[in-house]
Amino acid sequence: MSVETHCPYCALQCAMRLEVEDGAVTVAPRDFPTNRGGLCQKGWTSAAVLTAPDRITTPMVRGDDGELTPATWQDALGLVADRLTGIRDAHGADAVGVFGGGGLTNEKAYQLGKFARAVLGTRHIDYNGRFCMSSAAAAGNRAFGIDRGLPFPVEDIDRAGAVLLVGSNVADTMPPFVQHLAGAREHGGLIVVDPRVSATAALTTEGAGLHLQALPGTDLPLLLGILHLVVAEGWSDERYLARRTTGWEEVRRSVAAWWPARVAATTGVPESRLREAARLLADAAPHRGGAGAMVLTGRGAEQHADGTDTVTAAINLALALGLPGRPGSGYGCLTGQGNGQGGREHGQKADQLPGYRSIEDPADRAHVAGVWGVEPDSLPGKGVPAVELLGKLGTEVRALLVHGSNPVVSAPDATAVRRRLAALDLLVVCDLVPSETTELADVVLPVTQWAEEEGTMTSLEGRVLRRRTALAPPGEVRSELDVLADLAALLGSSVPMEREPAAVFDELARASAGGRADYSGLSHASLDEGTPMFWPAAPDSTPRLFAAAFAHPDGLARMVPVAAGGPDDDLRADAPVYLVTGRVLAQYQSGAQTRRVPALNRTAPDSFVELHPQLALRLGIEPGDGVRVTSSRGAASAPARITSTIRPDTVFMPFHWGGDALANAVTNDATDPVSGMPEFKVCAVSVTRAEEKLMEATG
Amino acid sequence: MREQVVVVGAGMVGHRFVEELVSRDREHRFDVHLVGAEEYEPYNRILLTEVLARRSDVAALTLPRPPERVSVQRGVSATSVDRDQRLVELDDGTALQYDHLVLATGASAFVPPIEGLGGEESPHHVHVLRTIDDCRDLVARTVNARHAVVLGGGVLGLEAACGLARRGLAVTVVHLDAHLMADQLDPAVAGTLARSLDDLGVRVHTSTSVAEVVGAYGELVAVRLTDGTVISTDLMLVSCGIRPETGLAAAAGLPTGRGVTVGADLASPADPAVRAIGDCAETPEGCSGLVAPGWEQAARLARLMTAAPAPLLEEPLPEGIRLKAAGVDLVARGVRGSGAGPDDRVVALSDPQARRHVEVVLRRGRLLGFTALGAPEVSASLSVAFERRTPLPVDPAALLVPQAGAPDARSTMEASPTLIPADATICRCNGVTKSDLMGAWDDGCHSVEEMASATRATTGCGGCTESVCGLVDWLTSSDGVDENSAQPVRNTTGHTVAGAKHQARSDEMLPS
Repeated sequence: MSVETHCPYCALQCAMRLEVEDGAVTVAPRDFPTNRGGLCQKGWTSAAVLTAPDRITTPMVRGDDGELTPATWQDALGLVADRLTGIRDAHGADAVGVFGGGGLTNEKAYQLGKFARAVLGTRHIDYNGRFCMSSAAAAGNRAFGIDRGLPFPVEDIDRAGAVLLVGSNVADTMPPFVQHLAGAREHGGLIVVDPRVSATAALTTEGAGLHLQALPGTDLPLLLGILHLVVAEGWSDERYLARRTTGWEEVRRSVAAWWPARVAATTGVPESRLREAARLLADAAPHRGGAGAMVLTGRGAEQHADGTDTVTAAINLALALGLPGRPGSGYGCLTGQGNGQGGREHGQKADQLPGYRSIEDPADRAHVAGVWGVEPDSLPGKGVPAVELLGKLGTEVRALLVHGSNPVVSAPDATAVRRRLAALDLLVVCDLVPSETTELADVVLPVTQWAEEEGTMTSLEGRVLRRRTALAPPGEVRSELDVLADLAALLGSSVPMEREPAAVFDELARASAGGRADYSGLSHASLDEGTPMFWPAAPDSTPRLFAAAFAHPDGLARMVPVAAGGPDDDLRADAPVYLVTGRVLAQYQSGAQTRRVPALNRTAPDSFVELHPQLALRLGIEPGDGVRVTSSRGAASAPARITSTIRPDTVFMPFHWGGDALANAVTNDATDPVSGMPEFKVCAVSVTRAEEKLMEATG
Repeated sequence: MREQVVVVGAGMVGHRFVEELVSRDREHRFDVHLVGAEEYEPYNRILLTEVLARRSDVAALTLPRPPERVSVQRGVSATSVDRDQRLVELDDGTALQYDHLVLATGASAFVPPIEGLGGEESPHHVHVLRTIDDCRDLVARTVNARHAVVLGGGVLGLEAACGLARRGLAVTVVHLDAHLMADQLDPAVAGTLARSLDDLGVRVHTSTSVAEVVGAYGELVAVRLTDGTVISTDLMLVSCGIRPETGLAAAAGLPTGRGVTVGADLASPADPAVRAIGDCAETPEGCSGLVAPGWEQAARLARLMTAAPAPLLEEPLPEGIRLKAAGVDLVARGVRGSGAGPDDRVVALSDPQARRHVEVVLRRGRLLGFTALGAPEVSASLSVAFERRTPLPVDPAALLVPQAGAPDARSTMEASPTLIPADATICRCNGVTKSDLMGAWDDGCHSVEEMASATRATTGCGGCTESVCGLVDWLTSSDGVDENSAQPVRNTTGHTVAGAKHQARSDEMLPS
């Protein structure tokens, strides 16, 4: 049997074909506009997770002995329903929390939001996409009135003469995407902002572009400085700004104090490179006769306590150059998780209902309540963002249901998160494989994965894709759609909960009709016909947004002046080095899936601390020595990887591992006031040689 | 009843102060009035030399509008202060009541007494550069002028000199001290600076000054220097520093020295209701004349007035100079070489021929100061190290050259296949090493396509295709594939021999 589907991992959603023979699945890439027949090692080896030796195949309930013990579905769900009822009766509906994930299908994300609001009646739902896309989403909504990661098909990037990548290491996080940078590299126009010579920054060498190796936490002043130069040189697209935007004058004034010499001293990026970056972008801008210019942000720019403002600065730069809405130009964010786009549109977010509707808007509430068959007044109000929700565990929130997430590894200040999870009266985790979070659960429910289920994913370009079943799930594994429907019934809810993915999707489409992310023209059947479908699809697909108007009522983009602050947890005498965290190519997110793939573990077996030879020499650290990285919140240890490609004032750790190497035990849980995004990407640490020798092959 | 705050002076510091105050005054305790003598909206004065150098549009100078709560009067000067009545009188005949008066009156350009200047016979085309109007006048004159004399080789004078040179004028800088920027630079560095200015068409005359300006028919034609030299010129710019504007304070009976005397709390010792910040103020540290300390004072005063918690006490970093001109990059902060103590380390790279000089001064592992001329990559990283006090390399010599290294991966990719170590990754997307590819070769894959299907190399982003081609070519030539059969020539023992061959290839990697 042969099944056409997409990769289980990142938002590029590379197309693949699964061949099933005697229950064994092999993966082959398919030609598709996003991946063009390419797959990275994670995609090639993704079938290995289907047969992970420690796959969870039965429900597990923690017994009196403190151990997780196999149980029947009936017993496990009955227990969950009883405990949830007890907690709701004692503490109210808001005492039950739901924590979702950006890897869930649209159907599951939708059903989870409906379950929380209509069945549980709790306002406390949020998801790990808060750690991923929230700053870009908030800034996009503020500027454009809509949040679709790339408001254009990914192939548009090929045409651009210059691409500014702020804090994105696509060569490691979505390798086949690198093909789309070939055009800019040929023009010498790839500009990468990163404190490390990442694999992506290395693509700028040999005349292919420019690497701006900025001090961590200074993306915002850097962007203000580039915009200052655009104004100073007279390169702004005044005609476009006058016709299509509001707020330009305030934004122009807001960069007057960010002259190049000041920006160079703040960011460590030499003035000549700032000027060159501004020139490359301006020369590629359409109003100056260029081939097109793109400004793209990633988590490096977004995961800050001023992440929304940093993205706003990137958008302001794009608008000043007249890019959004012009072919081959624009602003976009590079979504991270597989369904990071769809996951944020259909109701997992604390303040949102399906279709990107607002839970505070009476008309939006009435529409969705109508689809769900409940009274609008019965829907709860707005909840709180992920970090705040995790902060309430054990106090205001007594029970938590976790779906598609491993917050013990992926949340900031993770040691505190572990403590709070342990303080819950009830922790229920749906997952495929054991994780650091299932280890703490009272009940673990085994659920289907990628090749065992039907559904849809919305990729980084806002294209709705079909995920298809290649084989039956093992053991007693069930779909989350069944789990939620069963739980709803056990809780005595009269709200109908569909179980069939296609039927759930049809309901989602109705709920989204007229919303900002409108899927009403789509169905599994129409998607199976193979025509590309970008939302809004009401009923026709919209590959490119903003050609004529932005999504605000007046059709204009809003330019908002922003100010540079600096890291929340800044350097001081006892923490004189910055920690930045990120990803390696052969692991994904908290590693729960990829750490179970032997080939990936051969490539990336363990965590490491990357540091500059000068810093290593000062600290007496040699390659492979254990390095301890300590902040005011906690510490992590991993072997040293010494390389001159990182700034001497900065160390880097990947965050895919738990245990001693848990990078998020160190990171800061200060959040952005607008988006609720935590400041993963910069904090002050002390670095020392660990007592024990941790061996790692350097490379 | 809200407290009335009157800020006199809407320059960069007065402007920053009202922003800081309003953003902290969440209870709306204060009504804020900003009075500025210039007609223009507040602008970034620092960039006037950039406008002169044609490196910046005037539009880039306009600072953000003051917050809406602030009542702003532009083109109005304060004429006197009645401290008994707490009134500021304005030249439009009105007066403002205050509870708090903040003087941010700035400074004016200082013009020393020079023969022929200032009287009725004073010729046209002698300029100063302090305001946007000054800048416009100066730029207008450059259209017809061919030669410029700049009196005073400080930051403003040198930036302006470079800007005038970029506008095509022959420029001579006349400087009283024995060398340029004598307060900040040691003689050798100043000499290298003079040479880099000379490269840009700016001549420097030191140890002299302008004794007399010579006019004809009311137009400037020449200047005579104190050493007797006469230079023909049709434009002169006087940049001999600034003089704090203290008139208003002095007339109100407040103590003044070089500037308006204030304590660490920025209040006048004679009247706590009057504060002074920025260029007009003389704090216990003195008068700085730079914008960064002025901004710091603006923030400090706003915090004091709103009783906000003070930030952690850290000794303020010494200011320095940043010369911003196309073709000259100079940053000097903190202690310079000649100012180092006997136990301090001074490490320098002196390269006058390349117009480069980098110097760091360290005390017990801490960067006390640095000078970086003609080294823009280094000046940016040293500025960060100085301001953020990041750990320094064990050998400070490493600070003198750019620190970021070449990407490791890249150098591997570009090495000849022979030199690549066996465990080096060729295809990052799929984690394929050179030895994996050689293993595939041994298993009979002799084309890029066969290598790709066996190892998945090249199937991610495709960036390693060239390297894999190179490897296939190299293996083809070294393994002696029979082109016709496309089979490697092998001994019957197969892998053993192939292994030995690889051993031989690996040996080629050993350093000779």
